[in-house]
Amino acid sequence: MKRDCDILIIGSGPAGVSAALPLVKAGLNVLMVDGGRRVVDPPPTENFLVWRRTERTQSRWMVGSEFQALKMQEAVSPKLRVPSLGYVFEDFEFENRVVGNDFVTIGSLATGGLSNAWGCGVARFSNDDLAQFPFQESQLLASYETVSRRIGISGRGTDDLSDYFGLDAWSQPPVPLDTLHAYMLEHYRKYRNLLNAQGFVLGRSRVAALTEAIGDRKPCERTGNCLWGCSRRALYSAVDEIPRLMSYGNFTLRSGFVVRAIARRNGSLAVEGSADGRQNCVMTAKKILVAAGTLATTRLVLTALGYQGERKLLSCPTAAFLAWVPRFLGAQRTPSFGLGQLSFALNLTAGARAMGSTFSTTGVPVSEFVSHAPLRNRYMTDILKNFLGSCVVGNVFLPGEFGAASARLSGNGQLIVSKSHDDTGSRLMVECSRILQRCFRKLGAVVIPGSFTVGKPGGDIHYAGTLPMRREPQIGETDSMGEVQGLDGVHVVDGASLSGLPEKSHTLTIMANADRIARRLVELCVSA
Amino acid sequence: MVITGGTGYIGERVVALARSRGHTVVVASRRAPVAGDAKWIPFDMYSTGELVLPEGIQAIVHLAANTSPIDSAEADRELMAARKLLDAARQLSAKFVFVSSQTARPDAPTLYGQTKWRIEQDVLAAGGWVVRPGLVYGGAPRGLFGELMHTVQRFPVLPAFVPAPAIQPIHVDDLAAALIEIVCRSDIAPGVLRLACPEPVSFTSYLRALASDRLRTRRIFVPVPVVLLQGAAQMLKQHAGFRSAMERLRSLLDLPLMDSAADVKALGLHLRPLAVGMHPSGDMRRRQILLEGRALYSYVLRELPKGSLMRAYVRAVESLRNGASLSLPNSLTKWPSLLAAVDQGVRGDSGWISEFRWRLGAATRMAEATPEGARRFLGIPGRDGVVPVLLRIARAVVSEVAWRAVMPVVRPFVHVVSKRSNCGLS
Repeated sequence: MKRDCDILIIGSGPAGVSAALPLVKAGLNVLMVDGGRRVVDPPPTENFLVWRRTERTQSRWMVGSEFQALKMQEAVSPKLRVPSLGYVFEDFEFENRVVGNDFVTIGSLATGGLSNAWGCGVARFSNDDLAQFPFQESQLLASYETVSRRIGISGRGTDDLSDYFGLDAWSQPPVPLDTLHAYMLEHYRKYRNLLNAQGFVLGRSRVAALTEAIGDRKPCERTGNCLWGCSRRALYSAVDEIPRLMSYGNFTLRSGFVVRAIARRNGSLAVEGSADGRQNCVMTAKKILVAAGTLATTRLVLTALGYQGERKLLSCPTAAFLAWVPRFLGAQRTPSFGLGQLSFALNLTAGARAMGSTFSTTGVPVSEFVSHAPLRNRYMTDILKNFLGSCVVGNVFLPGEFGAASARLSGNGQLIVSKSHDDTGSRLMVECSRILQRCFRKLGAVVIPGSFTVGKPGGDIHYAGTLPMRREPQIGETDSMGEVQGLDGVHVVDGASLSGLPEKSHTLTIMANADRIARRLVELCVSA
Repeated sequence: MVITGGTGYIGERVVALARSRGHTVVVASRRAPVAGDAKWIPFDMYSTGELVLPEGIQAIVHLAANTSPIDSAEADRELMAARKLLDAARQLSAKFVFVSSQTARPDAPTLYGQTKWRIEQDVLAAGGWVVRPGLVYGGAPRGLFGELMHTVQRFPVLPAFVPAPAIQPIHVDDLAAALIEIVCRSDIAPGVLRLACPEPVSFTSYLRALASDRLRTRRIFVPVPVVLLQGAAQMLKQHAGFRSAMERLRSLLDLPLMDSAADVKALGLHLRPLAVGMHPSGDMRRRQILLEGRALYSYVLRELPKGSLMRAYVRAVESLRNGASLSLPNSLTKWPSLLAAVDQGVRGDSGWISEFRWRLGAATRMAEATPEGARRFLGIPGRDGVVPVLLRIARAVVSEVAWRAVMPVVRPFVHVVSKRSNCGLS
């Protein structure tokens, strides 16, 4: 049987796209399949503060013409309430047969995957972070550089987090800080030694947001619509790289093809899925790169292996808090970057570390805060109107081993994800909360008591590591090329194959790993 | 049950209501009903063919009628059709319910009224039920109600007849419910049942309600002596379209009072008042939801919401919460600041409380998504000094604390409200 292609990539997210580019450039025939959902409602183009003040029909962005935001009132993240982002999240669990047991299971069927709605945080894993990985850091370095320069990251500066993030050599200048954040950074500089001694380090956030144009993508102008989607395409989304891939004759994208299973047919690798309403479409390939997102990938691989046991799923415990900067009480709202502006890292007991960022409150609907406080809506609104402008929102992540959950296949082929009972994570969070309260005071800010809220398990949407790369992989693990033990020719190139998940943002590392694996595949192909 | 005339103004509602209650309905009409899945048999009063009704029929409701018979030949054929139906009913041992008219009299001024009377006699002789409804209104703009609605819509100036003729209205859905009651219950004796609002309403009030509540429009009413109506009817005899409506109207306006109180009570009917029935939805729910939205928004925004916001709230409740109203007590809709009593501080797995919270959260989000909301929630445009800001925050904190202090006293009342209102939501 003639094979449809050399390499079939499942998924058009950051991992899939990063794996595709080296392969396509080397002339291999690449077929990419994805869920294919696309934007239906384009995001606003005007400055956030302007359209909020003037646009009569703003309800369609804030609430939705079908009241999507109201339907999702119980959902864990404000992103899930953004009507124009519905296409990113919808139907994922249903189509991919993923079920969460007290665990938030979010994924995407959209072209570009979750990178259509992410926080854009980027970081390089250090040598320590990569200790569990079955290859040297040096082998990943070239990929980090390729990917960073390709997607455009910013935040370059000589600050205390330069080494922690390790990306400045390839970064554009940072997005300017707003006045609140500039004030906090100033204070940090004053009390730097004191804070460092307590294990607290502050610096600029490194984000995949452009400050210099790349191709059609324009640099950030701080219009503040980040939560709704960037109309300037300053924020990286893998969907923006698809046109470039399509310009190659040896690349095909088959959208709307949801893969149900990976199998062997007549000696070749094949994927079975549904497309255009038809149930049983089959495509064959020499190699399959699975990049459907950790949860979907896990289900596909475990099903193909017939794996009955449990796999450990790494997930970063996360928390959010509100910090008030008294100096700015009564100040006017100004246009602000909606994603992370300052980031911090702090040392906890047991050698663990936490990382977080702070955000302006402007680009988040105030209703999100009103519902949180145990005050009556009317008075909470009175207070927030006068108060929220002088606050920043912060988040915190712990290493993924502390939020461990488990994933297994159920009798009828669903992937069931359940949280594991482990108190270390919650104890560390309590410690985190105390340290942050102390340290932020030195920054001129007060962490509002009672605002520190630990997220639901899985709320980080950072899960990884179910099919980790190992030097000597067992069944259910992968080798240094992401090739699944027991499934020759099937490589896992997304978060599922990460061997460890530190507290840092992991997307850039996933992309770098995918790039690395693809380059190795090209080398092997050429030498063969 | 078989419903003749099941695609007509009244028939449509009877069919829908009966089916929603789980009854098997066969529509007997000239044309098949639009809603595809109802059972249908072709039935034409003027056809001379055999009439075959399905087995197992328990009742026939005869609504098919010619509202403007031209001559006595037509009237006779209508009578024959009714007799054919009566025979069929007798063969199947089915109940026969004939929907007649308030104008039915042996000496009725119109052929329509006379024909109704003659059919009534046959039905009563055969041991069936005769229903004489008053002026049927509401629902779709069809039948005489539709013609009146059309007229009110067309003419900005309308006659207020002097002396004002009185009518006894009945909402089409109330009539439909009554007909089904008669079919289903075994304790209603055969005979004539008069169903209409026992207290008459002036025709002018009726038209006013039609204009303001159903059509949401203003109309000018000019006093016109009633005699002119009769003159107009004479003149317009030539124009067929107007003629039937005018004749029927005139005959209705000429009627003596119908004593319907006893029959309405016997059937256990609660006829909705004209003001409620004239609302496009036929009931007060929409208005209740509007008032509820207005109260919630006023509570959150500290100002009256715009019409577009309130309409959005109604749409949200109708599409996401099944159109059920919270049934907030009047005190809370009149003084929205009192909603602070229900917002927070009341525990309980009361379904009503959690529904209230959902709606308050929804109203908050929708309120924010407006330019007024941007002013209220984000404080833009504006720049204030520290002192006014601190005062405002302090005031809000004081209000919150004051409410918390008062809650032990207030809580029992809130519990009462939540229990009482619960039934409205099921």
